[in-house]
Amino acid sequence: MNYLAQNLEALRKRYPALAENTQENSGGLLTIVPSREGSPSAAHEGRWVHSGYDPRQEAQGWAKAQLREWKASELGVVLGVGLLYHVEALVALKPQGVMLAVVVPNVAELKDAVSTRPMAAWIHRVEWLWGTPAAMAEELAARSEPLRFMTYGPAARLQADAHRDLEAGLRRMVSAKQTGRLHVAVVGPIYGGSLPIAHHTVAALESLGHRVSWLDQSPHRISYETFGVYHEPRHRLTMQSRFADVLSLGVVTHLAEDPPDLVLALAQAPMNLAVLEHLRKKKFLTAMWFVENHRHLTYWQQLAGGYDYWFVIQEGSCFESLKRAGARHVSYLPMAAEPNLHRPIVLTAADQDEYGADVSFVGAGYANRRTVLPRWLSNDWSFKLWGNEWEGAEGFTSVLQRGGDRIDTETCIKVFNATSINLNLHSYAGDGLDPEADFVNPRTFELAACGAFQLVDERSLMPDLFAADELVRFTAVAEVPLLIRAWLDDVPGRRAIAEAARRRVFAQHTYQHRMKELLTTIGVHQPDRIGAIMRGDRNAGALTQRENTPPELAALLRRFPSDQRVELKEVAAQIKTKGADRELAREELLVLMLDSYRVETRDLV
Amino acid sequence: MGRMPRTLIIQLARLGDLLQSLPAIAQLHARQPETQFDLLCPSHLTDVGRLLPGIEKVRPWDGAAWQRRAMDAQQNLRAEHLVEVDTTLMALAPDRYDYAYVLNQHPRALLAASLLAREVKGPFLYGPLSEVLTPWASYIRDVAQRRLGRRVHLADAFCGLCGVSPPGSVVMLDPPTVRLPEDLEPIGKHAAPWIALIVGAGETERFVPTGVWRRLMTLLLSCMPQSRIVLVGTERERAAEIQAPLPSSALGRIWDTTGRTSLSQLAAVLARCHRVVGSDTGPLHLAAALGRPVIGWYFARARVHETGPYGFHHVVWQAEDMMGEIWPVDETIAAMCEQGHHAPVGWSVWTSHCDAWGAYYALAGQSAVPPPEREALWHELETALS
Repeated sequence: MNYLAQNLEALRKRYPALAENTQENSGGLLTIVPSREGSPSAAHEGRWVHSGYDPRQEAQGWAKAQLREWKASELGVVLGVGLLYHVEALVALKPQGVMLAVVVPNVAELKDAVSTRPMAAWIHRVEWLWGTPAAMAEELAARSEPLRFMTYGPAARLQADAHRDLEAGLRRMVSAKQTGRLHVAVVGPIYGGSLPIAHHTVAALESLGHRVSWLDQSPHRISYETFGVYHEPRHRLTMQSRFADVLSLGVVTHLAEDPPDLVLALAQAPMNLAVLEHLRKKKFLTAMWFVENHRHLTYWQQLAGGYDYWFVIQEGSCFESLKRAGARHVSYLPMAAEPNLHRPIVLTAADQDEYGADVSFVGAGYANRRTVLPRWLSNDWSFKLWGNEWEGAEGFTSVLQRGGDRIDTETCIKVFNATSINLNLHSYAGDGLDPEADFVNPRTFELAACGAFQLVDERSLMPDLFAADELVRFTAVAEVPLLIRAWLDDVPGRRAIAEAARRRVFAQHTYQHRMKELLTTIGVHQPDRIGAIMRGDRNAGALTQRENTPPELAALLRRFPSDQRVELKEVAAQIKTKGADRELAREELLVLMLDSYRVETRDLV
Repeated sequence: MGRMPRTLIIQLARLGDLLQSLPAIAQLHARQPETQFDLLCPSHLTDVGRLLPGIEKVRPWDGAAWQRRAMDAQQNLRAEHLVEVDTTLMALAPDRYDYAYVLNQHPRALLAASLLAREVKGPFLYGPLSEVLTPWASYIRDVAQRRLGRRVHLADAFCGLCGVSPPGSVVMLDPPTVRLPEDLEPIGKHAAPWIALIVGAGETERFVPTGVWRRLMTLLLSCMPQSRIVLVGTERERAAEIQAPLPSSALGRIWDTTGRTSLSQLAAVLARCHRVVGSDTGPLHLAAALGRPVIGWYFARARVHETGPYGFHHVVWQAEDMMGEIWPVDETIAAMCEQGHHAPVGWSVWTSHCDAWGAYYALAGQSAVPPPEREALWHELETALS
């Protein structure tokens, strides 16, 4: 039977251009294969797009699972086309009036679908989004309803790039419109490289207008290190691990007393799996920004299933490994700079003298740096080496500053500003350059934000972050002396490159950008929770204007500024401030009653 | 002909508090015989609420459902939430009551009263947001939080809170007519003394060590050869742990009901026993209200003068200064064998009495002299009220 004509006829009524495009497309993306039960199934490059046994039954199961989360007020957006069994199942199951849209990045796939199966009965009951990812993102961003994305994995896999671009575009557009204020609890590490990043994260969230509870674990460092005196490693690890468990409980206690919308942990935060599971049971939303190389530090394996959202600085195998270990949502979130801190500064002559050099390197003495850096010393330029853990490294005596002491951030910034060419070599435990060079380190962004010129080793993720005319990269150790020689004399060239890099940081790579991205990503996945708050749906003005808000509640809400986020506890507090000796309206009593139970719902400890 | 006035009594606390509300309910009923008195209590206590004399209807308060609603509303307050809770309240009590008497100090009891009744008599002078306690409420708070009792029993203080005097006699519950599991039917039907042991407690700090229970049971079975022991409570594992190492001679003399009975069935079991021993005040109050002589071991925060079993002939060992693992085991056996009341080191022993000013406890073995501060407090607080 020729389904194509019937299906396109039904589609044409609302989507004539899409019907036309589909008709003209030759299709052929999918390989149509009969399933065991007789209905057509499909494969792509040898992998099933629908069940080879019973595609309808499989689709039913998927659709039922989606309905558990999908709220009537949300626009459901399906990612993944295939033969559209799953969309048909959703259309059949969804309540009347609930809206559903399907993203079609490639019309060839739709052509295969409409040529293979009858769809005329329901095809007009779905909204079809097609075109470039940017166009589809714009269309979705213009919608007033919250969006609920529903991914049919086997088919979505075919268009993964388009979906990623669509989501990125959507995040950008959505984040520009966000007005709501979240309460985020940031849990930092006891010490280490992620501690300053935690500080920057807190500052960025605050500057975006969110309320931040900073759960600083660094005051516990002295106690933690006290346990390091035990000679037996097992004893030391046991004590430190138990201590971290206590800190974990401390975090829970804080969360119980002041529950946030989101718990954001930075790498090395003392949060164990039991605590994370406990938090999930109590409906806390958790996220981890894992600002580590997942190949070197592998504790994520124990925690993968504990956090609701993972943000990582690597892609590819990092995503796959985390998902295999149980992570539900993994997103890429590269490092960044804090422009209020990492900035160009005017140095005194004395500072210039102390911190300046033709070439500098700031960093710890990792194995690869010990072998590579000597090859970049020369009598043709002055060289200063700053940082710690250089003990036993021969050949650096004359260039190592301050006897190899750790230097603070302000000193780093002076060095960056005072140096003509800053070398930025990503750490690696072997010799030479990192053979799995993917993520971009914080130093790259910090140097750029300072307006400092740098030579940095090439990373696979670098091109998405900086263009070739914004950063000078090298791919071999031997290239560096040549680059130094070339750029040392080219002051205007260095300045142009450094300024371009700085502009790029300001435009896209600050911690503010990262936090916006992080919150928007979670908001897109949680349209009725984080998403709703960020859209401002929980602000007094929006709540007052809801159609079904009774006048009594509206009167309560009008006591708040219209852009203030209002929750049960705020309304209750407002009622209480009006004085104890007056008669309360029924709605006020109801609010107070709910609030009296609210304080018990987060009884965590 | 006018409509019968309707009054709601609100007691949202635990089993013990509900049973200690009995004198107040009886007195209110006696003073206002034309009024219909209903009770609002936690839904899991409605079986007991229905046993209370003078109560017409029992309204269940489903705290868990309220908690679910609060969780849903806490971050996304919508009109639907208020509509839903209003509907729930309307279903609970379609017509507002004329009066509500509130016997808890938790704000939600006051809020419930304000929502369900036109006029509220409660622990706060100026409504649910007030922090100014009435004199009797202030006394109850001192008892509960600071252990500053002045020998007025909590049940009588509830009378004061409701503006009535103590009944001067003991108000009893009728045992419920409820079927027991078949294997528990024989309880209390032989001539032997049946002793109920309440082996658990609502709070772990009131747990008596299992070894102590075991010793008590062994001695009891030995000293009273005809006796039978009934283990009651919800802690089935604890009961199993107590029984596991007992000698085979104990077989057939121990009836384990733990974890198997509803509250009505628990009441029926207790009513069939000749004595009830324990540290969990809720079931002890239930046994006392059913007219069973009670032996209480009061320690942790339990205080005999304010929360001892209400009525006559109850015995309470009160921990004064607990010295290690000394428990009044031998003394309890001696008391049950009519060999007098003695107190081990760190404990005192008291017997219960009752007069026009309510219940009081006097040191066992001494003449029952009513404590003068009790009457003085009644005069003082009645003056304050007027």
